[in-house]
Amino acid sequence: MSTVFLFPGQGSQKPRMFQDLPDHPVVRKVFEEASDELDESVYQWDVESKLSSTIAVQICLLVSGVASARVLKEKGAVPDFVAGHSVGTFGAAVVAGALEFKDAVRLVRMRGEWMEQSFKKGYGMGVVTGLGERQLNGLIDEYNQNERNIYLANLNSSRQMTIAGSLPELRRFMEIAIANHAQKAELLDVAVPSHCSLLNELSLKLEAELDRLSVKNPEIPYAGNLRGRVLRRGEAIKKDLAWNVSHSVHWHEATSLLYELGVRLFVEMLPGNVLTKLAEDAFPEARAISISDDGSDTAAILVNRL
Amino acid sequence: MTINTQTNNSWTTRRDAKTKRMNKITHITDSRVIPTDRMVEVLEELLLPGDRVVLEGNNQKQASFLSQSLSQVNSAKVYDLHMVLSSISRPEHLDIFESGIAEKVDFAYAGPQSLRIAQMIEDKELTMGEIHTYIELYGRLFIDLIPTIALVAADKADSDGNLYTGANTEETPTIVEAAAFRDGIVIAQVNEITDDLPRVDIPGSWVDLVVEADEPYQLEPLFTRDPRHITDIQVLLAMITIRGIYEKHQVQSLNHGVGYNTAAIELLLPTYGESLGLKGKICKHWALNPHPTMIPAIESGWVESIHCFGGEVGMEEYTSRRPDVFFTGRDGSLRSNRTLSQLAGQYAVDLFVGSSLQIDSVGNSSTVTNGRLAGFGGAPNMGHDPGGRRHSTPAWLNMMTSEDPLARGKKLVVQVVETHQIGNTPVFVESLDAIDVKNEADLATAPVMIYGDDVTHVVTEEGIAYLYKAKSLEERREALAAIAGVTPVGVRYSPKDIQKLRQEGIVAFPEDLGIRRSEANRSLLAAKNIEELVEWSGGLYNPPEKFQSW
Repeated sequence: MSTVFLFPGQGSQKPRMFQDLPDHPVVRKVFEEASDELDESVYQWDVESKLSSTIAVQICLLVSGVASARVLKEKGAVPDFVAGHSVGTFGAAVVAGALEFKDAVRLVRMRGEWMEQSFKKGYGMGVVTGLGERQLNGLIDEYNQNERNIYLANLNSSRQMTIAGSLPELRRFMEIAIANHAQKAELLDVAVPSHCSLLNELSLKLEAELDRLSVKNPEIPYAGNLRGRVLRRGEAIKKDLAWNVSHSVHWHEATSLLYELGVRLFVEMLPGNVLTKLAEDAFPEARAISISDDGSDTAAILVNRL
Repeated sequence: MTINTQTNNSWTTRRDAKTKRMNKITHITDSRVIPTDRMVEVLEELLLPGDRVVLEGNNQKQASFLSQSLSQVNSAKVYDLHMVLSSISRPEHLDIFESGIAEKVDFAYAGPQSLRIAQMIEDKELTMGEIHTYIELYGRLFIDLIPTIALVAADKADSDGNLYTGANTEETPTIVEAAAFRDGIVIAQVNEITDDLPRVDIPGSWVDLVVEADEPYQLEPLFTRDPRHITDIQVLLAMITIRGIYEKHQVQSLNHGVGYNTAAIELLLPTYGESLGLKGKICKHWALNPHPTMIPAIESGWVESIHCFGGEVGMEEYTSRRPDVFFTGRDGSLRSNRTLSQLAGQYAVDLFVGSSLQIDSVGNSSTVTNGRLAGFGGAPNMGHDPGGRRHSTPAWLNMMTSEDPLARGKKLVVQVVETHQIGNTPVFVESLDAIDVKNEADLATAPVMIYGDDVTHVVTEEGIAYLYKAKSLEERREALAAIAGVTPVGVRYSPKDIQKLRQEGIVAFPEDLGIRRSEANRSLLAAKNIEELVEWSGGLYNPPEKFQSW
């Protein structure tokens, strides 16, 4: 029986999310390192006005995730695996020991900036629930036959997937999904069509940046987004970090693999509990908790007990 | 006089090779007992690259100490093993392929590792032998998959290597026999070494080495279904099955797969079945694990005999106190045997009931899910009509549909499903996902669980399709469509004349069987939760903690 630390991605942020972090020297150190790297204090980056910028959102997620894991480490709780969703992969790579935190901060800022620049007005993402991957892919293929472009983005659970594309096409396609027995299809509050080939350029640039760094072999195995595999080599993690923004996140596959590898405790780092709920639904025999709902003391006790 | 020019050739190469290997561990032990902390070393000495290793692990009992030890051997010394596993259940069963210790695999079931094995095949991290059914895998242990080394699990051993398996004999005797009588090496992990064995399940002369494990072998309660989760629809399916199949065809001997549909049938026998006056007429002899949901039927006197594939956690005391029903040893405890019970379930019973995730328009079914490779287990062994069968029973004869003087009967192969899975995914589909999986995993044949031409009946909440009566493929499709509800099959092949199918008895709706849907509810269950099963057992059933809610 083993444990995985989960690092949430965009969508989990909330104003004043840093307030959930304990006042602890390791937390202060994370903030100082991030502020040094950005040449600006990040303590206030979680205010509502700031979070309209995807750069701030992604930095806040990275800081919260890494700080949560470091607090747990202080309490003696170290995971057997790490897994991050989208930008969460950077926090996961840091905690795995593959990537330096300051490098992660710099990369995530660039990732955010480039996403904001490549922001195409009128594009976005939607979520469809109640259809399997095969069914949804079939509908997308059919839809795309008429020179249209809807992309299957993230595979979050066996029946919850996100799609990316232009807003009019997303709206049109979601009507089709509902007509084909989807339980729910709605637009997400995301202004960038992430996790599809529209962002390939961005991945190329990120990869070039990553190539200048040393990404080490992880001390803790890292479950990747691109193919849902557990990665044990720095080179493979580098690829996963660079390319997940322009490819589907195979979250359900990655977490199912972890379950088969013996993970029975899923612990979600701050902020939020989105990944906890996915794990609860997918693995009723396992335990899924979040620092946000259960606190780091409970998490540490459960991790240490396994 | 003919001169035999072959006389100089040795006919004992296998035996000699075994002796040579065994001599390599004389510095570790001079008896049959391996010290627990030297198990890895023993494996490194005994195993050679390319060896065929049978590791015991079915879906319940696991030789977990030996599998962990195997995963720790030095892959520079031991590599490219050919593993034969009836069930790939534990992470280290596949870890050994990642580390290079093993190279090729033959297996029957991989449910708990079904995603990982599919990924590893795609990533070319292992070489696939075949995906077997249990009986085929056991059979081939004696033909062309003969083990070099067998690694098995038992409860207790004495210093002479005699093994006591308790209720969980399962496949141990089969694996041991294949190795022991063909100069293979047999190693058994046991929970305890003692000179006071309750009984001998496997004689010591078949066993080379024993080792006391650091902790008891892994055992999973896979056949326990909490009646609390049985739904009203499942009660309806059970009523339809009892009335429209068990009673109609006088089914006396049978196997039930594991699931809530069959648990509902088991719990309806003492209530609904009793009210129909069927006690003593149907469901007397079983090839079945000791399902806790069988307790009320047993206690009510419905069951004459049950032969088990394996044990069930918590049922040890109950089974040992019901020797009139269960096979037990002189020590009183259950004796199971997976191979023999599978064979019995294949050849010796009237009926098999299973469930499925997908059924196509002619009745082929599959439990394959996209991107996973779960294998078969034993369902195809029992879920088909064995063409070699000769003995007759009323139910078997009842399947004859022709006047041909050479006509023979048929095993009843029944699929009980709801028309949609949870989340509204249709069960009845145009084309099985198994066909895509065949292509993705590059398999020789599509992983169909039960072939359509073996299926005699399909039951849904809409009614029964008596497929064995269909006179043409078209009629077969229409019969299935008539009970397939609003699914692709139900819509596309909807029969033109449903009344005709009902009149000819090819399709029956609940009302045709005298069943009122409004009567189908949980109040009919003889036990509505685990606690009531314990009560029925007179306190003899001791459910595992995770099923205890009081």
